[in-house]
Amino acid sequence: MRSLELTLSRRRVLAGAAGLSFAAAAAGLWSRVRAAPRITITEGNMQPMPIALPDFVGGALPDPAMARSVTQIITSNLQRSGLFAPIDQAAYIEKITNIDQVRFPDWRQINAQALVTGTLSRQPDGRLGARFRLWDVFAAQYLDGKEYSTPPDNWRRIAHLISDAIYERLTGEKGYFDSRVVFIDESGSKERRVKRLAIMDQDGANVRYLTRGDDLVLTPRFSPSSQEITYMSYSQGQPRVYLLNIENGQREVVGNFPNMTFSPRFAPDGQRVIMSLQQGGNANIFLMDLRSKATTRLTDTAAIDTAPSFSPDGSRICFESDRGGRQQIYVMGANGGPAQRISFSDGAYSTPVWSPRGDYIAFTKQAQGRFAIGIMKPDGSGERILTDGYHNEGPTFSPNGRVVMFFRDPGGSAGPSLFTVDVTGRNEQRVPSPSYASDPAWSPLLR
Amino acid sequence: MSTGRTISIGGASTSRRDAWTFGVSIAVHVVVLGWGALTFAARPLTSIAEPMPVDIVTVSEFTQLTSGSRTAEAATPIVDKLGERNPATDPAAKVAKTEVHAATDATVPEPKPPTPEKKQSEPQRDLIAEAIKKDLAKPEPKKAEQKSEPKKAEPKAEKKVEAKSEPKTPPKKEQPKFDPRKVEALLDKRTPQRVAATGDVVNSAVGLGAPEGTANQLSQSEIGAFLRHLKTCWSPPPGAISKRFTVPVTIRLKMDRTLAAPPEVEMRATDPYSRAIVESTVRALIQCQPYTMFSLPRYELWKELPLNFDPFDMLGG
Repeated sequence: MRSLELTLSRRRVLAGAAGLSFAAAAAGLWSRVRAAPRITITEGNMQPMPIALPDFVGGALPDPAMARSVTQIITSNLQRSGLFAPIDQAAYIEKITNIDQVRFPDWRQINAQALVTGTLSRQPDGRLGARFRLWDVFAAQYLDGKEYSTPPDNWRRIAHLISDAIYERLTGEKGYFDSRVVFIDESGSKERRVKRLAIMDQDGANVRYLTRGDDLVLTPRFSPSSQEITYMSYSQGQPRVYLLNIENGQREVVGNFPNMTFSPRFAPDGQRVIMSLQQGGNANIFLMDLRSKATTRLTDTAAIDTAPSFSPDGSRICFESDRGGRQQIYVMGANGGPAQRISFSDGAYSTPVWSPRGDYIAFTKQAQGRFAIGIMKPDGSGERILTDGYHNEGPTFSPNGRVVMFFRDPGGSAGPSLFTVDVTGRNEQRVPSPSYASDPAWSPLLR
Repeated sequence: MSTGRTISIGGASTSRRDAWTFGVSIAVHVVVLGWGALTFAARPLTSIAEPMPVDIVTVSEFTQLTSGSRTAEAATPIVDKLGERNPATDPAAKVAKTEVHAATDATVPEPKPPTPEKKQSEPQRDLIAEAIKKDLAKPEPKKAEQKSEPKKAEPKAEKKVEAKSEPKTPPKKEQPKFDPRKVEALLDKRTPQRVAATGDVVNSAVGLGAPEGTANQLSQSEIGAFLRHLKTCWSPPPGAISKRFTVPVTIRLKMDRTLAAPPEVEMRATDPYSRAIVESTVRALIQCQPYTMFSLPRYELWKELPLNFDPFDMLGG
């Protein structure tokens, strides 16, 4: 019995040892397999992506030039984004006749990384139909394709929508081309400057005037629903915040306050407007519900609190205040309460605006007699000056939060004009406008 | 009384000795402290040389760098040229042949005539007995007899030795004689050959070493050239990345340094942005070929390259 037990235990010991050694060997093998050395690539380049955009096929159109125009708008949109480098059409080898068949080597040869083919046609109901295909040239892959139809006079929007689709597929981020900008159009001499509220596509086309220019208008802001604008106007001598419906032209005063109201902005839900109300020498921030007209006071200080802007999730508000002596940026909860200062460096900070992505707050910074446009994270870290000069002011984010538009006044007899710059500080571009322009506000995407 | 005296004398001597040792102690202290003060005095920092960048690698990385390839094949002989089949096929045979030619060098064992003691002793005994007898009789002829005795004995012995060692003794004409004209015969006549240098198939590839060998990794300069080359092709979409993530991709290369197959991405893109990054890496790897920085003899090292694309440093924050 004892010997049996002994044998068993010995066997067990042997089996256990064998098992252990096997496990150790397996673990060693596994670690070797797993530990295959990988080369890590952390550096690339920020060169714009070469993209080929041959003219859309539009043979059956009553106006074949329209197909070319659509292609040109897409090309221009992508080029202005700074992320794409459209290749000159003169270099193209293949002439596209069938948008679903592409000879990749021909496009590889001209170093195009992406290729867009498309057609434009008149549908039986008279609407304009557009189809496009996006190709990855080097991987020889189909990436994306969509179809749109629209009334013929809306053809520019087709080009913007296709631009957005290409941008989104290749960068992984939402586009911003199918959006509009409301701004203050300034015309006439410096002494007799006429300021009108105007709206245009983000590329400067389709300018439309919303006011006649009788009253001074300032700080227009888009509603998240994009059908309404809120702005400040001196219509009866006293600056007041107004609401304007873009579609039907109706306008109304927001709230019924005895004193001046200014720097309005919509809450992310589009149902409330946040603004400043002057009380004596001070200004405080109020929130007003547009339906119930209920007003909530959010700050109560003996200082000037102004330029409030909601975070995209509606949970916080950033604003400018001189409660610390100089204008600085503060952040507080959406219901008021204690505010935390987030800007600390030298200079005065003003016009803070929260990015639609929520990752940055853009601002105007005045220091040493110069005005700069910059961004910082909502906790005040990572401040980055995007542009700097004699007078830059009034930043507004593109719908995807990647581009900041602002106005620049060169001084002298010239007037202001609009510019865009990436949040990286690269790719500064002038936005075409019919005359001088200031105070831009970027709309959300139109769809 | 006397005790007290003794004590007083002893005390005096003790105090004198104390003073002396005290003096010595002070002197030694002064010397040591003075030397220390001069020697250990703080010196101004000399200018430090240019800081040298040091890459700190973890133990596991170092192990990786020095470990052999588990997949290393058995080392094939390095062959520089195609060899002819006939020479050097049987080196042993050649060596045997040369031995015959180089006979002059060989020292032929000289036959040493063994001196059979037993048989020699017998006649000696006889001679002595005779000599004694003759001595007793005639002391004079003793000398002559003594001289002639060995001569007599020799032929006897020689005869017996000859009879025994005759078949083994080489002929006299083959005895080694140094002949300067035949110096070449002393040389190794084997055909010059490197056994590993010739073969049926040219193979210039260095073996990967034993599976447990070391240094079978790509060199830092090769990796550096690869990274610099890839930098020109890779343009990740410039979105903002909030947290670090890497795209693991493996490429397989042919000997002409182009891709043998499309790059293999080992992750699943969950959102449009990571998909765009993944596609940018694949595009870059396709566009960047051929990878001319890799040398052909080390094909085994780069025929399959696992990579990690990490755009955080470029786009993060």
